[in-house]
Amino acid sequence: MKQDVLLCGVGGQGILSMAYVIDYSAMEAGYSLKQPEVHGMSQRGGAVQAHIRVSDKPIASELIPLGEADLIVSLEPLESLRYLRYLSAEDGCVITDITPFVNIPDYPDPSSIYGQLFQLPSVLLVNGAHLARKAGSPKAQNMIVLGAASSRLPYSSSVLEKHVTELFARKSERLVHVNLNAFRTGCAVSQLHQVLRQAGVSDSLIARVLPWLDFEAWPVSDRVAEAWLEFFQNPAACAATEQLWQSRSILPLEEDAPRKLLEGV
Amino acid sequence: MKAMNRLILLGDEAVARGAIDAGISGAYAYPGTPSTEIFEYIHSLSARDDLGIHARWSTNEKVAYEEALGMSYAGRRAVVSFKHVGLNVAADPFISSTISGVHGGLLVVVADDPSMHSSQNEQDSRFFARFSQIVCFEPADQQQAYSMAREALDLSEKLEIPVMLRLVTRLAHSRSIVALSESRKQNRASYCPDTSRWTLLPSNARKGFDRLLNKQAELRAFSEEHGANKLSISGKGKPGIIASGIACGYVHEVLGDRLAEYNFLSIGVYPLPADKIKRLIQASSEVWIMEDGYPLIEQQLTGDGLHTAARIRGRMSGDLPRSGELTPDLVKSAFGMEASHGLTLPGSDAVVKPRPPLLCEGCPHSDTYEIIREATRTYPDVRIMGDIGCYTLGFYKPHEGLHSCICMGASIGMAAGISHAGFSPVLCVIGDSTFTHSGLTPLLDAARENTNIKVFVLDNSIVAMTGGQPTMVTDEAVVQIVAGLGVPPEHIKVIKPLPRSLEENVKVVRQEIEYRGLSVIISRRECVTYYKEIKTAQRNREGELR
Repeated sequence: MKQDVLLCGVGGQGILSMAYVIDYSAMEAGYSLKQPEVHGMSQRGGAVQAHIRVSDKPIASELIPLGEADLIVSLEPLESLRYLRYLSAEDGCVITDITPFVNIPDYPDPSSIYGQLFQLPSVLLVNGAHLARKAGSPKAQNMIVLGAASSRLPYSSSVLEKHVTELFARKSERLVHVNLNAFRTGCAVSQLHQVLRQAGVSDSLIARVLPWLDFEAWPVSDRVAEAWLEFFQNPAACAATEQLWQSRSILPLEEDAPRKLLEGV
Repeated sequence: MKAMNRLILLGDEAVARGAIDAGISGAYAYPGTPSTEIFEYIHSLSARDDLGIHARWSTNEKVAYEEALGMSYAGRRAVVSFKHVGLNVAADPFISSTISGVHGGLLVVVADDPSMHSSQNEQDSRFFARFSQIVCFEPADQQQAYSMAREALDLSEKLEIPVMLRLVTRLAHSRSIVALSESRKQNRASYCPDTSRWTLLPSNARKGFDRLLNKQAELRAFSEEHGANKLSISGKGKPGIIASGIACGYVHEVLGDRLAEYNFLSIGVYPLPADKIKRLIQASSEVWIMEDGYPLIEQQLTGDGLHTAARIRGRMSGDLPRSGELTPDLVKSAFGMEASHGLTLPGSDAVVKPRPPLLCEGCPHSDTYEIIREATRTYPDVRIMGDIGCYTLGFYKPHEGLHSCICMGASIGMAAGISHAGFSPVLCVIGDSTFTHSGLTPLLDAARENTNIKVFVLDNSIVAMTGGQPTMVTDEAVVQIVAGLGVPPEHIKVIKPLPRSLEENVKVVRQEIEYRGLSVIISRRECVTYYKEIKTAQRNREGELR
């Protein structure tokens, strides 16, 4: 087993907290670990990243060599594109929040960022800002995204949850609750994504839909998952997903939502 | 039990833990990226587990070094830590303490910043170790960082010289799993009976220097036999590699099993093991030097280009970039292997804009820059000399309110020099912590001759840039210090930089600019990012006073 993950975002978004949960899960699984990160000046609203290298053998280098990351997990869409040169061209995957963090005057038109993301062979888009608010705090965006990455990580959800709990237990009971909620909501996103992917639906189609589903902090029911599977088999699905992406309206996680969406085309 | 002895630690924290487990009684430091977490770890663990280690931030690195040296004088072990440029500040006691020698073990940890991620230069501290003729450890990973810190303190006490441990950013700020060993008790305090070796009058200092020189053979033997300086000869005529510290890992990563086709020498301890190097050179068709930082090993091997008996390839030969940090990708391309380009998307370069760091929303520094801009609008020749801290970001848009930044405290002295050259108005900005670090002495100079400069002390009550460490003085104590240095009270102004007070603040500053002498304007408002920490510190201070 060997996995190289690049975490990124803007200073202050909670990248190091995500790294904490993965680090301790890796140690618990008995793996070797190297995790370089950025401290200091760059943390003031600048671009921040952490490399997480995990293996069942000793790891030689702190840094992930270019083109060798299995996964980019990003808290911000522009930042997710910044490190593509680290991503494996064969099977690298990008998981990113879609919420722009605009603190530079020349921030690009978000649609040009999404246009890039849709071209990726393997991508999962997450509406972290919306789901985090729902889970109890806008600051829990990082745990939403971590949950969304969970099925790509070689640790069980219960181990990840244990370290989410440990991390926030130092702060308060309430924060443990909020962040577990957020993590589980992210896991639901990950779960539906896996179901659709395994059925052969392309990532770029799924990416236009998942950000607008109103996920909850528990697994997506089989009936809802099946309804979406059916949706993607419909020839009009492509147009419907594009329409949903443009309208940016949140759909309830109910089994008749996909049917209604198709009717609207 | 096993879980207790294995921790996930930053390279910085691994060094700190090694020092704690070696039985230190004191930890001294001034914050600076990438070294800050060394002291912070000791401070928090000592408080949590009641370890009885004296751990307080010092005013600057020179003071930190002298406090550590005093702890050593009293027979107890100490660690002093700072970033590479901090060693410049501490260089005076550092160099002379190699002549006096130490009593309790003294470990000097210096964190270098190749590629200047958070620094004004990328100087390599191994040169300081060589210059001062002491032992320097350069760990390759976190486990070595832990064990070398322990070993360095034992060695320092045994050889009676300070010992250096050099980190680079990528190791200092990278986490890994570290296995701990049994901790050692602290030394009991005891004076060294010979006070003459600590009193560097010329007659004593000459003896001290001879003592240091006489130890050199022992130092070289130590390095020659050390396990971290490991030589593997795979065969005569094969290419050779010398890699030091973190670069060892990069070489392993890039070459993997193919490393067996090379003659390989890893370096973790200095002075360099000359015999092992000679054997490597004799056996090898060419020798690659992989080091993170300046080409110290390469320059020693080539004698700055004076002898070229062997084919040496590295940063000096042009096979690797002369500056910037080493990466596995650079090692790869040096060995002629094609570096991967990763995933490329057409057009992504045009989309991805840089995102430099900037002042936080609501930062008092932004308001101070606004006040200065308004007050100096009618003076196109104005110069605003800067210093080291978050406010250095005022150089960038939208503020563009800074015209220099050289080193800690330079703003005031440089402003005075410009004034001496005949320019006015000359302003300078310096944070509260930088002011006590290195701003007091130049302000004393300016007060003595009433130099026509306007010094802005940006008092935000915390050391924000490095993560919110406590400041030495804030609020009225700053005013008292400024007055104590001889600045007339009528030209010490305190303003509160808030958008709604812009107009009145501009008026105060304009008035002082029109005065042709020294003014100190204290721009006082708490840092917004560390507001909670500042309020807690204030309550604690008030508690102490009652």
